[in-house]
Amino acid sequence: MDLSREGVVDGLQRIVEPGDVITDEKILIESSVDNFRKLQNIFGVHTMPVPAAVVMARSTEKVAAILRFADRHGINVIPRTGGTATEGGLESAVPDSIVIDGSAMNEVVNIDAYNMQATCQCGVPLQVLEDRVRELGLTTGHSPQSKPVAHMGGLVATRSIGQFSTLYGGIEDMVVGLEAVFPNGAVTRIKNVPRRAAGPDIRHVVIGNEGALCFITEVTVKLFPYFPENNVFLGYTLKDMKTGFEALRAVMVNGYKPSVARVYDPGDAGLHFSHFVADDDCVLLFMAEGPAGIAKATAAGVEGIVAAFPECTRVDSAYIETWFNDLCWGPDKITAEDERIRQTRNVNRTTEISADWSSINDIYQAARARIIEEIPDITMMGGHSSHSYINGTNMYFNYFFNVVDVGPAEETTKYYLPIISIICEETLKRGGSIVHHHGIGKARAPWVKDEYGSSYYILETLKQAFDPDGIMNKGTIFPL
Amino acid sequence: MGMGGLNTEAIPSQMSDLRVLACFKATPDFEALREADWATAAAGGVETRYVRRVLNCFDESALELALRLSETAARRGVRAELGALSVGGRDVEPYLKTLVALGYERATRVPPEAAGGESEVAGGESGLDFAPGVVASIIAAYAQRVAHSDLVVLGWRSGPGDSGTVPFRVAEALGWPCLTQVTEVEPLSDDRLRVACVADDGPLRLTLRGPCVLAVGNAVVSHLRVPTLKDRLARRHRPIEVLAAADLGVDIAAQRHRETCLPTGFETIDRSRRGVVIEGQSPHDKAQTLFDSRLRDIMETL
Amino acid sequence: MRFVVVLDGTVTTVARQARALAAFLRDGLGDASVELAGVTEGGRGELGGVTERGELAGETLVFYADDGDKRRLVDLAPTRDVRLVKTTARRPDLMVDDLLALGAGAHSTGPGTLGGEIALILTAGGATGAELATRLACRTGGAVLTDALSIEVGPRELRGRRTVYSSHLRGRFALTTRPWCVSIDASWNDGPRSPSLKPALEHYVLSDTDETGGAQATPFEDIELVAAPSTDDLAESRFLVVAGYGAGSREATKRIAQAARRMGAGFGASRPVVMNAWAPLDRLIGVSGTRTAPVLCIVVGASGAPALSWGIERAGFIVAINPDDHAPIVRDSDALLLDDGVAVIEELAEIVAAQREQGGAAPTA
Ligand SMILES: Cc1cc2nc3c(=O)[nH]c(=O)nc-3n(C[C@H](O)[C@H](O)[C@H](O)COP(=O)(O)OP(=O)(O)OC[C@H]3O[C@@H](n4cnc5c(N)ncnc54)[C@H](O)[C@@H]3O)c2cc1C
Repeated sequence: MDLSREGVVDGLQRIVEPGDVITDEKILIESSVDNFRKLQNIFGVHTMPVPAAVVMARSTEKVAAILRFADRHGINVIPRTGGTATEGGLESAVPDSIVIDGSAMNEVVNIDAYNMQATCQCGVPLQVLEDRVRELGLTTGHSPQSKPVAHMGGLVATRSIGQFSTLYGGIEDMVVGLEAVFPNGAVTRIKNVPRRAAGPDIRHVVIGNEGALCFITEVTVKLFPYFPENNVFLGYTLKDMKTGFEALRAVMVNGYKPSVARVYDPGDAGLHFSHFVADDDCVLLFMAEGPAGIAKATAAGVEGIVAAFPECTRVDSAYIETWFNDLCWGPDKITAEDERIRQTRNVNRTTEISADWSSINDIYQAARARIIEEIPDITMMGGHSSHSYINGTNMYFNYFFNVVDVGPAEETTKYYLPIISIICEETLKRGGSIVHHHGIGKARAPWVKDEYGSSYYILETLKQAFDPDGIMNKGTIFPL
Repeated sequence: MGMGGLNTEAIPSQMSDLRVLACFKATPDFEALREADWATAAAGGVETRYVRRVLNCFDESALELALRLSETAARRGVRAELGALSVGGRDVEPYLKTLVALGYERATRVPPEAAGGESEVAGGESGLDFAPGVVASIIAAYAQRVAHSDLVVLGWRSGPGDSGTVPFRVAEALGWPCLTQVTEVEPLSDDRLRVACVADDGPLRLTLRGPCVLAVGNAVVSHLRVPTLKDRLARRHRPIEVLAAADLGVDIAAQRHRETCLPTGFETIDRSRRGVVIEGQSPHDKAQTLFDSRLRDIMETL
Repeated sequence: MRFVVVLDGTVTTVARQARALAAFLRDGLGDASVELAGVTEGGRGELGGVTERGELAGETLVFYADDGDKRRLVDLAPTRDVRLVKTTARRPDLMVDDLLALGAGAHSTGPGTLGGEIALILTAGGATGAELATRLACRTGGAVLTDALSIEVGPRELRGRRTVYSSHLRGRFALTTRPWCVSIDASWNDGPRSPSLKPALEHYVLSDTDETGGAQATPFEDIELVAAPSTDDLAESRFLVVAGYGAGSREATKRIAQAARRMGAGFGASRPVVMNAWAPLDRLIGVSGTRTAPVLCIVVGASGAPALSWGIERAGFIVAINPDDHAPIVRDSDALLLDDGVAVIEELAEIVAAQREQGGAAPTA
């Protein structure tokens, strides 16, 4: 980089309204991390290099100008929208970075109910879009737990997935077109078409790039009819995860598409379902939705399949429905959880992986056993599978530990990273993927070459081609 | 409280200097219910069976304050023995197990149903939600007859009943004073505690001597610490005690009949906002209309 | 059948207690209860009067600790007839002894007692009022309703309302035995200072007793009042103006803040405003900022994203000034002005200031 910190700020002030260049110390510090180091934020301890400025982007043209400026001077750029990232994607790996905040680009550009697609700028909160389309009896079908707080740009950039994925798919199945700006200032629009076979699908260069290749300014997603009145919920208790995975597999390979298909291990079930399950119970649950006939038939089919597993005991569906209605994490829950952590120093972390049906249970068992054995101060080690496919499923490890004898800054090195490391090792060993939906961020970047193997060539070449000067979100996806 | 000065009688080795009883209730998580769930209230009741349980927030503070009190006491050479009591069904057992893992020496529950007729529907609402007199009798009897408590610590109120009278009733039954809206407790010696509370006229601190009911309010400490899996493993054989109310001399059915403040129905509280559009030709017009039609009255109450 | 209002004059909140209880007597009793209060049609507000039949009358029982306070305390009583009892401060358990000694629990006939049957004992909102009511009911076999929003005398029982289910619902209750011991809800403390309440009742002091004798070991020592937290804090503010990102610039945000100050309102801002450094971080309302509960909240140029609405949803009355009628704030507001925020708020500040000069509504935030 050939500019001083002041030089960076000065340059930005020439590009955008001076008021849009934020240099308030507190905000810069807050913008140097994400949830990966949430403990540091909660305790006001700061270890990451402080960005030079947060700049509010207000148009595609301004984004292009900022990127050109950064590229010319080799300044690291961190794209940001909702700020809910969990894997260090928003961390400033190097000093004097520019955070481009797209949250002010929050216009719902067009809702096209005839062609069933909606276009919005990157800073539109998913909840806002969903509420707007619901007024028309439609849904985006996307419902990550962070729906109230995450924005469309970030959701596409992380390749996010929602609770109804088994029916609607992940964000990659929803995005039909988009607009993105590359470090050289090139503004690229991928048009909205139902499908095309005109070469490789370039949407996938952008979706999931985690701000390491380009800045997403606009996205167009599919819309679906919304029939909440037809929802059917099914819940079961059972004694082991192996049976749970088998039941999920049976549902999937028999061709059913419930919107939700999950199995919780006893630890995780204890957090959610202790009012109706015993200590050592697992919970298997489904939701069927869609037009009345489909929802009904799906539920009946799933019921029939699970009936073949005598270990599964049906529970009152109202438990599942009530629980499901309260699953999203709005600001109230996030704030309450931060306060809980501040007082108890008991931290909740999650790591999500995926694997085929043959390996998933082994990965779950092996990682869980090792973590309990090798990591101190664990208060809960569990997880659930929440997104299933014809060939396998995911495992969302959910774990809590007390931070003992170390400061908030050492939490990642003493507990979090060693746990991630165990999960990654056990997953890679059995051919699974170490990242199911939170993104690689900086936390799992050290494993990216193992994750990709020989195909890392393709990934690396994308970076070299689109971000030759390496200014986009240093350390994210590609380790420093 | 306290063992007296020069008493030469043999003191049992198990004797503790300060016996603290912390009481708690697990309630349905009301925040997990939707507008529509509350809307049915007027017609019948609210169906809370299907939502998860949470510790009543004030009780959670009380449980943690008791743990901190015992730790500070230990540093000052005073042994505080902690007991936990809940008038509750099987769904409070996970909490009792957690408390045992955290170092509570006794963990007891008294089923809220009359002996014999125990219908402990999993996740069901306690039959005593609107019977604070019965709950208080059970707590007082347990404190007096079983735990021989010096101090009873509990949340100042709990839903769904929210009468806020249980601590006072326990104090009445025991003939003790009661401090309410307690926010902090610090042991000074085996018979003196420094207590912070919020009185009607503002926050205050005082030194407490002798037995007392401490009703915990908005304490700074609002979360219970979490035991590790190893703590749980180490104390997993400690039994959870289940006592029938009758064993404490409390006849639940008869006592219920003696409750004198009885719920007769519920009303929904309409929180939806009207969003009345204030029309006008100019910003001035609109501001004037707003002021005349609504703000003048509201501002009088400020 | 008579009623007694209890005031705890040993603490500084007594004037507020008296005001709240007077407001409750005026507005908190259903129609059927008007008689009980001894309020006649022509003389609403002249509480404690005896009806034509001469059977219903209220008295105020005032606890005090310091002889010098007596005169002032008597003047606060919401009824004409007043009794004074000297007692130990901060000991509701002992105050209940005093009440019993006066005959609050039974038909009493002796001199210096309340005399006759007391049907209703009304205490102030807050912890002491609740404790007095509860303990009294326990000792007399009466029934207690705490935090009463309203009460109504039925043929055989007292009916009342209070919130239940952690404020999600209102419950209706029946009190089946007498005396009915009722502490009123703390929200009555905030009630309007009604101009119709006659502050200068002529009071009659019926008795004055000293119950501080019989030195008992006190369980509470070294009582130290801690300074209450300052009230210009956003969380405590009763009137708030909140600027949103729609303000558009630092300059406009400043003008909104100035208008707020003119009206005597507190000033807060949404996250994007603070992120832009148009307002300092300590003004942030909503997630990771302050959660407020003002009586009146005027939101200027905010769309009402969940992060902000969480911070203001407990407000009593929300006014939104916003040109976009699609914004979520539209749903979350009581009154809506579709217009440029800065222009309207400045006009409003003008109106409020003019009103204040005329001696009208003058909020003190
Ligand atoms: C409580 C909670 C629940 C969650 N639940 C889920 C869930 O169910 N499913 C799920 O998939 N995820 C979940 N997440 C993770 C997170 O919400 C998602 O990763 C989300 O997609 C991030 O969106 P955001 O707008 O907050 O992005 P940010 O946090 O702002 O950014 C995320 C990443 O994307 C990059 N980025 C952001 N905006 C752009 C842009 N315009 N152009 C290019 N790159 C950009 C950033 O540099 C960063 O690397 C959860 C997180 C939390 C805190």
